[in-house]
Amino acid sequence: MLNSVAFFLMSGTNIIWFMIVFPAVAGTVVCLFGKNYAIRSVAVLLSSAFNLLFAVSLYASEGFNAVFPFVSPRFDMAVSVYELSSMFLVFAAAAFLIVCLYGIVFLKDEKYAGRFMLYMYISLSMINGALLSDNLGVMLFFWEGLLCTLVGILLINNMENPKTAVKALALSGTADLLLMLGIIITVYRAGTPYISQVEKLPVAGVSAAGFVCMMLGALGKAGCMPFHSWIPDAAKDAPTPFLAAFPGALEKLLGIYLAVRIVVDIYDYKPGSKMSIAVMILGTLTIVSAVAMALIQKDMKRLLSYHAISQVGYMVLGIGTALPIGIVGGLFHMINNVLYKSCLFMVAGSIEKQTGTTDLRKIGGLAKRMPVTMACFTVSGLAIAGVPPFNGFFSKELIFDAALESNMVFYMGALAGAFMTAVSFLKMGRAAFAGEMKLPVDSGIQLPGQNKDAGKTGRNVGESSLGMLVPMGFMAVMCVVFGIANTLPLDKLLSSALGIHESFSGWPHSTMLVVISIAVLLLAVCDHIYGFKKSGSAINAADHIHYAPGLRRIYHMAEEGLFDPYNLMMRGIEAFSGICVRIERGIAWIYDDAAVKLTDGTGNLLSRLNNGSLSRYLATAIIGTAAVALIFLAVLLQGR
Amino acid sequence: MGGNFIFASILVPLVGTCFLPVIGKKNSKLRDVAALAFIATAFISSTLALPHLLSGSPVTLHYELPLGLSFGFYADALAVFMAMTASFVGTVIVFYSYGYMAEYENQNEYYAMICLFIGAMMGLVFSTNLIFIYAFWEISAICCWRLIGFYREEITILRANKAFIVTVAGALVMLVGFVGIYGQTGTFDLAAMKGTHIPPWIVVLILFGVLSKSATFPMHNWLPDAGVAPSPVTSLLHAAVLVKIGVYAYARLFVETFNIDKMFTVTVPVVAAVSALISAGAAMKANDIKRVIAYSTISQLAFILLGLSCGNKTGVTGGMLYILTHSVAKGGLFLCAGIVEHNVHTKDITKMGGLYKRMPLTALAFMLCAFSIMGIPPFGGFFAKYLVIDGIISSGNTILGAVFIAGAVMTVVYLTRLFVKVFLGQPTFPHVKEGDRRMVVSVMILAILSLLLGIFMPIPSGLASLVGGGL
Repeated sequence: MLNSVAFFLMSGTNIIWFMIVFPAVAGTVVCLFGKNYAIRSVAVLLSSAFNLLFAVSLYASEGFNAVFPFVSPRFDMAVSVYELSSMFLVFAAAAFLIVCLYGIVFLKDEKYAGRFMLYMYISLSMINGALLSDNLGVMLFFWEGLLCTLVGILLINNMENPKTAVKALALSGTADLLLMLGIIITVYRAGTPYISQVEKLPVAGVSAAGFVCMMLGALGKAGCMPFHSWIPDAAKDAPTPFLAAFPGALEKLLGIYLAVRIVVDIYDYKPGSKMSIAVMILGTLTIVSAVAMALIQKDMKRLLSYHAISQVGYMVLGIGTALPIGIVGGLFHMINNVLYKSCLFMVAGSIEKQTGTTDLRKIGGLAKRMPVTMACFTVSGLAIAGVPPFNGFFSKELIFDAALESNMVFYMGALAGAFMTAVSFLKMGRAAFAGEMKLPVDSGIQLPGQNKDAGKTGRNVGESSLGMLVPMGFMAVMCVVFGIANTLPLDKLLSSALGIHESFSGWPHSTMLVVISIAVLLLAVCDHIYGFKKSGSAINAADHIHYAPGLRRIYHMAEEGLFDPYNLMMRGIEAFSGICVRIERGIAWIYDDAAVKLTDGTGNLLSRLNNGSLSRYLATAIIGTAAVALIFLAVLLQGR
Repeated sequence: MGGNFIFASILVPLVGTCFLPVIGKKNSKLRDVAALAFIATAFISSTLALPHLLSGSPVTLHYELPLGLSFGFYADALAVFMAMTASFVGTVIVFYSYGYMAEYENQNEYYAMICLFIGAMMGLVFSTNLIFIYAFWEISAICCWRLIGFYREEITILRANKAFIVTVAGALVMLVGFVGIYGQTGTFDLAAMKGTHIPPWIVVLILFGVLSKSATFPMHNWLPDAGVAPSPVTSLLHAAVLVKIGVYAYARLFVETFNIDKMFTVTVPVVAAVSALISAGAAMKANDIKRVIAYSTISQLAFILLGLSCGNKTGVTGGMLYILTHSVAKGGLFLCAGIVEHNVHTKDITKMGGLYKRMPLTALAFMLCAFSIMGIPPFGGFFAKYLVIDGIISSGNTILGAVFIAGAVMTVVYLTRLFVKVFLGQPTFPHVKEGDRRMVVSVMILAILSLLLGIFMPIPSGLASLVGGGL
C-alpha cells in the first residue's frame, strides 16, 4: 500500500498538491466547517493521518527528485525526497498528528479553535514545503512564511496586548532575514540554488559570512540564542498546544534539519575549526543561560519554555562539533526533545485545564488526583534530565562524548546544564505533584473552555480526559522505547540517513562518562534535598542558587530584561533612529530655513545693488565685461 | 492596431481631463464615473499592448517633425509593466476617492488633476524622446503641486510649493543632462541612442532629476511633508505614480538605453543604502501615520533603486517586481491610513489604538499590505526583496547586501510598530465605524492582490524578466 501511495505522490505535481496544498485546504475546511466538535475532530484526525501516511510512504520509497518551474531558476520548485528529508517529514507529521489530537480536546469549547487549527495546518504546509525543497530560495519561501502563522497564533486572544507577537515577529523576522542573506550569499558562491548540486563550500571569506547567516537563521528558528526570548513570553500568552507544537516540536525539527544540511551538505565544516568552536560556544551558552533561567521560574509553562531553549543548546553543541557522534547525537536529541518536551507541555496543559493555572505556587498534591498525568511527567522529566534508560540519557551521552572530544570546557558546560535541568525538574515535579493540595476549596477560577459551573475547587480536580491523556501517554511511552530500543532511531534511522556507517546505539561506550553523568544527577538530587530543607518548600528549593552571592545580581538583571536580545536590539534601533531623526531635521532645516533665507538674502542683496546709482551700474558693467573678457582669454590660451 | 492602444492609454486620460470639469458642473456622479472610465481605459489599453509584446513585436510608433526633430512611442516590457502598474493602482484610487472625497469641494479640479497625472505618466513611460519625457515629467510635477495643495490651507500650500520646487529644480538639472546628451549624439531619440556610452557628468546631472522625483536622500524631504494632501493623493504620489517616475527614468535611461560607467553600480547603491537606513530610522520615530508610511516609501524606493542600479539581470527583475508589489501594497497602506484618518480625525498614532475591533477589514487589509512590504512570504514583496538583495550580492557587494538586510529588519520593526499602535492594544475610539464600503473594497482589492502577486508570481515575473535584456 505504501508503495502505491508513494507512486501516486511521485506522479506529476501530486507531491505539491498533497504535501503542501492539501494541509492548507484541510485547515481551511476545519476552520470553516468545524464549529461542530465531532466534525472538527474527525476532520483533524483524518487529514493528519493522511499527511502521516503520505510522509511514511515517501520515507519507504526509494527517493524522488523533480523540478517544477516557478518564478525563475532561483525559485523553481525543486523537490528532493531522500532519506533524511523524508524522515523529518515523518517526524513532523507524527508530531503534528499527536499535538493536534491533544489540541482539539484542549480547545474543545474555545471559539478560536477553528482559527488555531487553520494556522496549524498552514504551518504544516509550510513545514512540508521547506523539508521537501531542494531549492534554497523556495525553502526560504516556506520557512519565512511561518512568520504569518506564528504571529496569527500569538495574536489569538492577545489583540489588546500584542507584546509577545511583536517580539516574536521582530526576532524571528530578523533571523529569517539573516537566513535570506545567508542563502543568497551561499547561492551566489555555489553558483546554484539546488542543495543537491552544491559542491561543499569552504567556510572562509564571503562564504563564511554566508555560513554564519544561514546558521543563525536555522538555529534562530530552532529557538537558539540570540533569537529565543519570545518563547518564554509566549508561555504566558499562547495556547498550550501551540507551545507543544511550535517551540516544543515543529520549529526545532525545521531548524535542526537545516542546521544539519548546512554542516553536512552545503559547507565544508570541519571539526576543530574556528567556526566549529564558535557554534559550540553558542550551543553551550544557550544551554547554560536558558537552564539557569528555568531554574528560578515559578510558572510551569515558563519553566518548560526555558528548557525548550536550553535543549536546543545541546543539539547545537552536538552538531557544532562536526563529529559524526556529535551530529547523530544532536539529531537524536532533537527527536527525543520532540517526544519529551511535547509531553511536558501537554502535562502542563493538562494541569492548567484541571486547576486553571500553571503557577507552581498555587498548585500541589496533584499526584493522587492526576496519576496518569504525573506518570507522564515522571517519564518525560526523567528523560529530559538524562536519567537512564530513558531516551534523553542516550542522546546526551553522545553529545557529552563529542563535546569532550572537542574541548573540556564544552563538556563542563553541558554537564552544568544537565545538573540544573535535573534540579529544576525535581523542583517542578515535587511542587506540582507532591505535598498537599494548595488550591482553596472554592478557587473560583473560571477555566478556559470549561462550563460555567465548573469553577474548579481543589476537591474537584481530577484526571484529564482520555483525549488528552492518550497523546501524552504515547509520547511518554516513546521516551521509554527510544531509550531502551535506541538501535531503531540511532542506527536504522539517523546513521542510515546521514550515510554514517559507525554504530552509536546501545549502552554508551564510555563508562567513565556515564559514571560522571550519574554523579551529576545524584548531585542534583542532593542539591534539591538541601534546597528543600533550607527553604522549607519545593517551589523554593532552588532559591539558594537564585540568591547566591554574585548570582543574585545577575539574575536580577536577567529578570529585568537587560540581557534580552530583543531589548538590546530595540535599544540599538532606538538609538540609531534618534541619529536619523537628527539628520532628517538637519535636511529639513536646509530646505525649509536655509534655502529660504539664502533666497531672501540674495534677493535683498541684489535689490540693494539696484538702487538707481549710475556710477554703480557703470562699475557693474565694467566688472562684468572684464570677467567675460577674462573667460575668453582663458579659453584662447587653453586652445594654444 | 497596437498603436491605437498606446494612443488610447495616453490620450484618453489627457483629453478626458479637459472634459471632466465641464461634466462635473452638470453632473458630479457622471464626472466620477468618467474619471474612473478614463483611467481604467489607460489600464485596459496598456494591457492590450501585452500580446504584441509577448509575441516578440512590441508596438512602435515614430513620427518625424520639422527641424530634424522626431517623437515616438514604444511599448516594450518596461513601458507596459510601468503603465499597467500605475494605471491599475490609479483606477483603484479613483474608486476609493468616491468615498473619501465625497465631502470636499473642488472635486472637479481633483478628478481632472488625477486624470492628467495618469495621462502624463502614460505619456512618459511610452515616450521614446527625451524632450517628451521631460515635458510629461513636468506635467506630473504641476499635477503634484495642485494635488498636494488641494486643501488650500497655508501649510498645505507651503508644502506643495516645496515639493514642486525640489522636483522641478531636479528636473531642470536633468534637462541640462539631456542637452548634454544631445550635444554628444545629435538626437533626443532614445532608440537611436541605444548602447551609447555617456560620460559620468551627464549621468550625475540626470541623477539629480531621478533622485529628486524618487525622493531619495538627500532630496527626499518633500515627500513626508506631502502627507498633508488628501489620502488618495498621497497614495497616488507616494505609491503608484510620482515617485515611480524617477526609478522608471533610471531604468529607461541607464538600464535600457545608455551604457554608463561601472562606478555607478556602486555609488548609486551606496546612496540608496544611506537613503534606506535614514528614512527607516526616521519612520521609527514618526508619530503621524502618513509620515511613517511616507518614510517607509523613501526606504523602499531605495530598494528599487538598488535593484535597478546593481548592474545585473537579477537585480533589475527584482527592482521591477519591487515597483509592482510596492505600488500595490503601499497604495493599500496609504488608503488604509486614509480610512483611519477620515474616521478618527487625527493622524497621531499615539492617540490611536485597538481600532481592529471597529475597523476589522481595514486592519486586515493594512496587515496584509504591511506583510508584503516587509517581504514575508507568500506575499509578492518577498520575491522582490529576495531578488534585489540577490542582485547586489551577485554583483559582488556583500556588505551593501547586509546593509539592506538591516534596512529590511527595520522595515519589519517600524511597520509592526505602526500596526500595533493603530489597530491593536486598548480601544481608544469606541464609537468609530468601519470606513465607507467603496473605500474598504478598494483597500481589500489591493491587500488581496498583494497576496495573489506572491502566489501567482510567475505571471508578473515573466514580464519583469524581459526588462534589462541587454545586461
